[in-house]
Amino acid sequence: MDSKCKHFPPKWPDRFLEFYCNPSRLEQIQGDAYELFYMDLEERGLAYARVRFLIHVLSFFRWSNIKRTKSTYQTFSHGAMLKNYFKIGWRNLIKQKGTTFISVFGLACAVGCCMVAYLFIAQIWFKGLNQPNKDEIYQLTYTAEGENGLVTYGAVAEPISELIPEKLNRVQNHTRVLREFPILIHKNESYQQRSIYIDPAFMEMFTYRMDYGFAGALRDQDQVILTHELSEKLFGDIHPIGQELALVVDGEEKLYKVGGVLADLNDMDMFNFDLLVNFESHPYSTLDITLEEEWNSELWTFIQLEKGQDISEFNAGLQALTNIQNQINPDKPYLNMGLVAYSDLVYKVDEIENGVRDFLGLGPQILLGSIGLFILILAVFNYINISVLMASKRLKEIGVRKVIGSRRSQLVFQFLSENLMVCFFALFLGCLLAGFIFLPGFNEIASKNLKIDLLRDANIWVFLGGMLLFITLISGLYPAIYVSSFKPINILKGSQKIGNKSILTSILLTFQFTLAIIGIVAGIAFVQTNYINENRDWGYSSADKIIVNVPNQEDYLPLKNKLLALATVNEVSGSQDYVGNWIREEVLEFDDQEYEISLLNAEANYPDILDLKLKEGRMFNPELISDTQESVLVNQTFLDRLGLTFPLDEKITLDSANYSVVGVVEDFHTIFFQEAIDPMVIRASPDTTFNYLTLLMSSGTAESSLNAVKKIWHETIPKGLFQGKLQTEVFDREFSDVQGVRNILLFSAILAVILAALGLFGLVSLNMNSHIKDYCVRKVFGANLSDISMKLFRRYLLIWGIAGILGGAFSILIISSFLDSFFAFHSGVGVFPIGSGLVILLLVVAVTVGSQIWKILKANPAVILKSE
Amino acid sequence: MKGYHLGELEELILLTVGILDQEAYGVAVLEEIKNQTGRMVNISAIHTVLNRLEEKGFLKSYMGGATEERGGRRKRIFTLSAAGRAAIEEVKSLRNKLYDQLPPLALDFSNGQ
Repeated sequence: MDSKCKHFPPKWPDRFLEFYCNPSRLEQIQGDAYELFYMDLEERGLAYARVRFLIHVLSFFRWSNIKRTKSTYQTFSHGAMLKNYFKIGWRNLIKQKGTTFISVFGLACAVGCCMVAYLFIAQIWFKGLNQPNKDEIYQLTYTAEGENGLVTYGAVAEPISELIPEKLNRVQNHTRVLREFPILIHKNESYQQRSIYIDPAFMEMFTYRMDYGFAGALRDQDQVILTHELSEKLFGDIHPIGQELALVVDGEEKLYKVGGVLADLNDMDMFNFDLLVNFESHPYSTLDITLEEEWNSELWTFIQLEKGQDISEFNAGLQALTNIQNQINPDKPYLNMGLVAYSDLVYKVDEIENGVRDFLGLGPQILLGSIGLFILILAVFNYINISVLMASKRLKEIGVRKVIGSRRSQLVFQFLSENLMVCFFALFLGCLLAGFIFLPGFNEIASKNLKIDLLRDANIWVFLGGMLLFITLISGLYPAIYVSSFKPINILKGSQKIGNKSILTSILLTFQFTLAIIGIVAGIAFVQTNYINENRDWGYSSADKIIVNVPNQEDYLPLKNKLLALATVNEVSGSQDYVGNWIREEVLEFDDQEYEISLLNAEANYPDILDLKLKEGRMFNPELISDTQESVLVNQTFLDRLGLTFPLDEKITLDSANYSVVGVVEDFHTIFFQEAIDPMVIRASPDTTFNYLTLLMSSGTAESSLNAVKKIWHETIPKGLFQGKLQTEVFDREFSDVQGVRNILLFSAILAVILAALGLFGLVSLNMNSHIKDYCVRKVFGANLSDISMKLFRRYLLIWGIAGILGGAFSILIISSFLDSFFAFHSGVGVFPIGSGLVILLLVVAVTVGSQIWKILKANPAVILKSE
Repeated sequence: MKGYHLGELEELILLTVGILDQEAYGVAVLEEIKNQTGRMVNISAIHTVLNRLEEKGFLKSYMGGATEERGGRRKRIFTLSAAGRAAIEEVKSLRNKLYDQLPPLALDFSNGQ
């Protein structure tokens, strides 16, 4: 007998038997199986016995032995049980209005934030994927030898499109897509609008909902289709169909009628455009160009396959196209051509040059995603803390239910179902918050057009469902399991201690405080940086200057002369680029070494007009001809970067011409503070043709003269787009961008503080409720204010201190690198942001705990102690 | 009455349970059949038949007799019910009646070798 019991039947078959077997038969069946096992073991050895055991288990797997779910009667009772769970849950939530509010409100804020973050991220990754034909659409690409190996290009030679029906079989539709930024003229106003020139088949391949008109309108070459936004901007309330507008491409004007208006795209389309135009109406189609030039012009080409077509069948056809191209245009050989699935375009952003999607902008996605997660963690921790404490009021209920025979799983289910209700409300409220408050605000800041589209976007439902499940489990599982693990004997005896001093609560609270501090520090550091940057010296005087663009060379001199005639204009200077915008980069040779520098070509008086501060040497002298031919100014960074001191003996070489440096100016900001100052060379060029004119106005007249300048500009260049602005406004867009980020950060910091405060309040007040007698007894025995305060405050101050150290350290790490990625010039994370973070949190702690101390002070011990 | 409709294995097992008397459970029945007839019957088949016979009312059962080999699990001991005994009698008398009607072997020349 002893020898037998050294071995046991194999575990897995045994478990399987236990799993499937009807409980009323399990004992006899398992017993017999065991007995046979030991008999076999004795007769034939272990291996045989094991195999036989498995065979027996399998042979017992019969209909009559298998456990079956209950009859209809039992299902009904299951439903009643569920109903009961929810009923008890509902009563509990109603009974605890305050804490329920804290949980629901916190979670709702978190859901709202996550929703916005999700929509923003989805808008990038699911862009264009609402198209019903997305699986049949492919983009043509080609691969060619680049400087650093093979490069795949998204745009192919234009004539390939004509060859598609001939060379590629079973292609249902194909279209060319050409991006263009024509000037749109309507009622004497000109706008620059993103347009795509397409073949009419485009509208069959891609499906758009139409507000007015119909999708086939583009078959008519004189018609265009507008987006909803553009139509509103141009026509307002007027019915747009049949309205006229003109597009100017390369100086050629063409009249169109509006043939249709698309419904709102919600930023979810693959292409970014404001209007759709027939490709044949582009001036390019009527241009008289050679065959080779035709093959040199490249554009996006899309094909739609017939359903169920395999792309590998196209290899031969693509090879034929490649051969034709290489024959006609041998200077630019294709290695091979390929097809990229429409739905893969987003994943191949980095692989395809010149493709439809150019960048994904991971930074903002990470920022928003982490803010969403951050708020979610705060809210979930609040909820965990509070629900563990709440359960302490229900210990008796748990004990009685356990004694009566409730299984642990039933208790867990009870708590989870309450949790599910809270999360459901939170989700609902969160959607409302996101839809009516967060999203409009965010759209304003990010100039996006995001919307919660519950009817058409299936992904949003997946997201909401996932969110519900995730929050329910993550916030409810621990409290449910913890609370249901108590032993009824301890509970009923009254010796079960719960929650208020538990380490977990302290850890969660510390974590929350840490997050709140990081949030506050991020917000304050950003505000501080913004403040400093707004008051930063730009390095030149921006007052009283107007910049206007000059689209065509032949307009330059007439425009300049007319503007000079304006009374308020003191001086005019031309420049290739202007300070306050991007400045082209050139390679400079010095001492046989090459350097990348910014090169500003301008008239000789440009530095004077801008009021650049001269450091050493002299400015250009417009009278000296040599200055416009062989002299340059440089900025201080230039000298630092090249390790030089003024005056220079050697000359610098630009475009194989030599220049001598006549002066050094102080560094000035040509681009926004996000970028460091580059070494710059200012070259005075002869007054020929420049892209921009900078007007120096009489003091204080710049703003009022802008309209006069615009009028003159339009008289001189009737078909152009006026892009004039004040020099003081050059950074306006960047400022509003960073202000947007600042607002988001401030908002999340405030939310974080509110959530942490609510959580703390919930914890403290629940603790207080269960210990109020304790404090009243102390009071009766003569404890004074400071004794009671010390006792209450000590723990939270400790947590505050730890969180302060952790939060300070983390924010120095995280926020500094965040600021670094955002600004080349920033204040860094100094004492001020961290200090104010700590103070704000301390205030929160003081107010929250103080309110409870106040409650004790006001309480009358006689009333409270009498009640039992 | 039309009879008890016992299958061949059912009859065998019913008889074995009767023989074992208070000791009849799955494995014991299996062993007994093996010893008496040399026939290897699958244990799950025996369980099925035992349960079916109990449903038909030929057997009664109770739980008892845990042993160490069974990991402390009890056996389900089957005993013949009155109906079971009657069924055996019935089957036996039917067999005998039919047997008795067989013509004597020595007088039959009709199908010679």
